[in-house]
Amino acid sequence: MLLYILRRIALALPALFGLVVLTFILSRVVPGDPAATLAGDAATPAQIADIRARYGLDRPLLEQALVHVRQVVSGDLGNSLFSGRPVSLEIMQRLPATLELTFVALVFATILGVALGLVAALDHNGPIDHLVRIVSVGGLAIASFWLAIMLQLQFSMEWNILPLRGRIDVIYGMPHRVTGFLLIDTLLAGRPDMFLDALRHMVLPAITLALPGLATIARFTRSGVLEALQKDYVLYARAAGYGRFRLAAIYVLRNAITVTVTQIGLLFGALISGAVAIEAVFDWPGLGTYAVQAILSADYKALLAVTLVVGVVYAVVNVLVDVAQALIDPRVAQRAR
Amino acid sequence: MINRLLRASAIALSLVVAAPLAASAQQRPLVWGDTLPATLDPHAIFDVPSQFILLNVYDGLYRYQSNPPQLEPWLATSHTVSADGLTWDFTLRSGARFHDGSEITAEDVAYSFRRLLTLRRAPAAAFTPVLTAENVTAPAAHTVRFVLSTPYAPFLSAMPLVAIVNPRVLSQHVENDDWGNAWLAAHDAGSGAYRLNPETYQARVAMDLERFPEHFMGWAGNAHPIASVRSRPVMETSTRVLALLRGDIDATDSYLPPDQVERVERNPRTRVARDESMRVFVIRMNNSRAPFDNKDARLCLAHAFNYEGFNNVILRGFVLRNAGPNPNNLWGNPPDLAPYSFDLAKAKEHCDLARAAGVDLSRPLEIHVQNELEQTVQAAQMYQADLRRVGITLRIVPNTWPGITGATGSAATTPDMWIHWVSTYFVDPENWIGQMYDSQFQGTWKASSWYTNPEVDRLLRAARTSLDQAERARLYSEATRIVVADSPDIWVYNTVNLRGLSRRVQGYSFSPVGSGGEMRLMSLEN
Repeated sequence: MLLYILRRIALALPALFGLVVLTFILSRVVPGDPAATLAGDAATPAQIADIRARYGLDRPLLEQALVHVRQVVSGDLGNSLFSGRPVSLEIMQRLPATLELTFVALVFATILGVALGLVAALDHNGPIDHLVRIVSVGGLAIASFWLAIMLQLQFSMEWNILPLRGRIDVIYGMPHRVTGFLLIDTLLAGRPDMFLDALRHMVLPAITLALPGLATIARFTRSGVLEALQKDYVLYARAAGYGRFRLAAIYVLRNAITVTVTQIGLLFGALISGAVAIEAVFDWPGLGTYAVQAILSADYKALLAVTLVVGVVYAVVNVLVDVAQALIDPRVAQRAR
Repeated sequence: MINRLLRASAIALSLVVAAPLAASAQQRPLVWGDTLPATLDPHAIFDVPSQFILLNVYDGLYRYQSNPPQLEPWLATSHTVSADGLTWDFTLRSGARFHDGSEITAEDVAYSFRRLLTLRRAPAAAFTPVLTAENVTAPAAHTVRFVLSTPYAPFLSAMPLVAIVNPRVLSQHVENDDWGNAWLAAHDAGSGAYRLNPETYQARVAMDLERFPEHFMGWAGNAHPIASVRSRPVMETSTRVLALLRGDIDATDSYLPPDQVERVERNPRTRVARDESMRVFVIRMNNSRAPFDNKDARLCLAHAFNYEGFNNVILRGFVLRNAGPNPNNLWGNPPDLAPYSFDLAKAKEHCDLARAAGVDLSRPLEIHVQNELEQTVQAAQMYQADLRRVGITLRIVPNTWPGITGATGSAATTPDMWIHWVSTYFVDPENWIGQMYDSQFQGTWKASSWYTNPEVDRLLRAARTSLDQAERARLYSEATRIVVADSPDIWVYNTVNLRGLSRRVQGYSFSPVGSGGEMRLMSLEN
């Protein structure tokens, strides 16, 4: 198993290296001159050239790329062009917010998606199956930013039962930062009131983010369960007198879920990138809003770092998914040998 | 089993829904929903959001107050200028203190200017052509001296751009000769009416300010000053408006969309502050290339923009038609300056004249818009439809501010046309016509129309060096008349700033510099 995990990690490294090089080239060939933005209004071409030289932006692209790769390999993501602070520091302030939201959305999507998929498969072509199908098609078709605004209008403005924006009410301030995850830090600070407030702030963005994932998981679980239900061992188990619920939940689901687990891994990446629009609408101070701000101010150092961090998170999740698959179905690890 | 699950879910849900009651029992601090700058270092950046830091956390030698803006002595009490316009002496107020309690000295002021001129970032641009770091000195305890390389009349108007920073605090945080730049990005070394809480600061996300009771201006003019300000920028316009209506924030940015004004005013808890600003909406033309190098072609384009339709229908009349490059409410404008009218017949006449002179108007023209700023897109779309009626094809190219300004460094890469605003950085025609149409500034985004007229250059340069205010007004007026007749760009409107405010905010006072974000003047009604 250990060998299997190491092999998966080794496979992720070249992909990350490719990501570093490719994103650097992309970020430097698109229009936008960070030096001009830094120099500000009424700066003369000479001042802009001076700044360009000071930040090494006048060097040949290949040389800049090599410097960038060397920096990244040595663990230095560089400083933001605008704040002058290490990008890694700024990202670490933002990353927990995105990870927390994504994780909660994923748990929500997984639990509900698997349950809906299972129920739909057991009621194949019945009314529940049709209902789940409508929910899944709707979940995939509805634009997230539209849903976000609709939820805000209904739950925050009309009914006034859930917060509109942000991670926590301004009256509380932020709890002492230990992990950066508010749901954990508020509990560590012994503040259940703040925990509840943070939880309330998470409901609408998490639902918005979860919906497309929920739909995907429900569809994959449904088809996986339907396929498993056709297997001989199910027929045997039925003949042996196993109850319908026990058979589905314990035997069928375990065999059917491997495909869904792969999907959950892919979804994690999709959710992180999908968080950009949702973070903007809900003012969620995560990596998505940081990336948008970096794009709008041509802070390419910040942008490259965000891309790399998302790439690393994605790679780590992929390795975890491979491991989870091997744990659920030991044949996967054996086949990989 | 199912019943137990349902009951547990109901309890959890009711807890989640009922939790706000605990929070709402306390009085909410003032929550400011405007944008925050990328860095808090006042010498590293200069844009509209950074003025909020400049006005609240720092002080300068002079400051603009009220509307129309008046330049008032601030940390300085007065100044003198030598007859040749080169030596400026500022007398410093005594007793003003930084947030750490130390007194502000003339040497601190000189240090601040030296830091600005060495870092050479955005706010330095107004000074670097005429001032070097070694020419800022403190000859006496309360005197700061600036010796300019050439006379520069707008020098005083640019003075409020510069924040005075505390060298004793900064010297403890210098890394790699950065003058404490990285540290100051998230900390405070000022003397302003509010001080930053660095513990809770999160770049562009959250900034908490606490009142500085020892501020040198005192608090006598404000019986109930605001003790704590929570700056919480709201990214999306729709969320920002909803947050104001709901009472989550007390102020939006000052660019409330015109279609939201009525909605905000209908709400009993909120209002809209409308103030004429100095921020001109302009459609640029690249005069260095055909067809814009032909005056008739430019006049055709100037008459084909539907000013009335854009200003009064799309923007619902919440702007003021502006005839030339300087805002209407600034000195130095000819009193009888007539704006271009929307007249397609006249536009066709000029287009025909241009064609007769051999100008090719058949190639599609490109207009670059700032995609995240809806008005630029709306203006381009409306313009595209009207230009089609005079036989000109306009192609709209989505872009961003850095994308466009990065391209304006050379005439070859500057777009055919692009749309932006020129905001108030300092209140002097130099900020608008001076830097937009003097050919020496070509290569900067402000002079991106690549317009060259030796007579205009002469007038603007004379106005820049003259210390006679009446003479300067005459020179700018004459230059404006020539520039408007040449029609190098299309000037559309002067902005009326629209800021959504909670009615509990009292004492809001607008000035085009800083857009009314000076907290010192405000109080909070319960």
